[in-house]
Amino acid sequence: MTDTAKQETILGQLRGILEESSSIEPDWDSFGPQSTIESLGLDSLTILDLLYDIEEVIGIHLEAKEVLNVTTVGEIIDMLVAKGA
Amino acid sequence: MKRICQLAEYGFFRCVLFLCDTLPYSVTCLVSRGTANLWWLVDKKRRIVARDNIIRSGIETDPKRALAIAKKACYNMALVIVESLRSTDFLSDDAIDQHLKIEIPDDVKAVLEDPEQSLIIASGHYGNWEVAGHWVSRYKPVAGISRAMNNPYIEGLVKKRKSRYRFRPIPKHDGNTGRFLEVLDNHEILALLFDQHAGEYGMMIDFFGHPAATFKTAAMLHLVTRTPLCFASCHRVGPMKFEINFSPVIQQARSGNKNEDIKAILSSLNRDLENTIRQDPTQYLWGHRRWRD
Repeated sequence: MTDTAKQETILGQLRGILEESSSIEPDWDSFGPQSTIESLGLDSLTILDLLYDIEEVIGIHLEAKEVLNVTTVGEIIDMLVAKGA
Repeated sequence: MKRICQLAEYGFFRCVLFLCDTLPYSVTCLVSRGTANLWWLVDKKRRIVARDNIIRSGIETDPKRALAIAKKACYNMALVIVESLRSTDFLSDDAIDQHLKIEIPDDVKAVLEDPEQSLIIASGHYGNWEVAGHWVSRYKPVAGISRAMNNPYIEGLVKKRKSRYRFRPIPKHDGNTGRFLEVLDNHEILALLFDQHAGEYGMMIDFFGHPAATFKTAAMLHLVTRTPLCFASCHRVGPMKFEINFSPVIQQARSGNKNEDIKAILSSLNRDLENTIRQDPTQYLWGHRRWRD
């Protein structure tokens, strides 16, 4: 699978996770790697929920401290690709 | 004008502190009982909240007896302050055995003694949680959320007193998960009092048989970072004498169902707290509105 295809797959998985768990209703039409964490209604507490779900769905453990510093979905995708997703 | 008032408050607080440090413990207790009685008379709202909470918990059904428990609990809070201010005296190495009895399972002790491990301790406003924090800081530095005083001069003084043991307060308004993760990364102890109304961040978990919004932080940190988690309480058994009890490390394997995992952990913590409170309901902070349905 090419890197772009991998990224597309992960983006879809992340969207699935967020659709299930997000407390707000973001604009899914514009959802993409450029989407900010803030626009998805995630804060430092709910990001722990996201990490749990990522590990369950994608099977990759991300360090919470690293993820707290990211600002966009694309950065999370890059982390997951770097970890072998 | 505000500054003058704050300085006046600070001066009064210093005097109280001086008396607390110099008067015999029994006299300090008498003064704190008088202050608690005065507070009890003045704060009708909290008096009613405490009585209703006790009745709701099922610990007491008779309103008069519930009120009597609530009044003793009010005195307990005054004692918490006095004991905490003097805890450095009786937690010194040569005096500690006379004042504390510790029940600590091997798995928790192993974590505390391992310099490469951090620990999350969940507890409630029972007995004297400050004494427990002071004692456990013998192993590793302890960090916990604390509400800052409105008066910056008193806040500075309290911080200075607390720094005599290895406690690092995380301001309540800055309860950012990043601060918690930093504590865990440093292989320190994160002490969390989970028995306050959690609002929108909480999960509804039974507390004495009634759903209460319970903070998920301890459970989520445990599930995501794999940091060991346990419950602890500090029960007062006599004047300046305490029993500190730790639960074994809570082992919650991830099931894949996040909400079920969180619920299992928080239910276990609430049960531990309920059992602790049943030992002596007069040592619990009943004046907080835990149930808000």
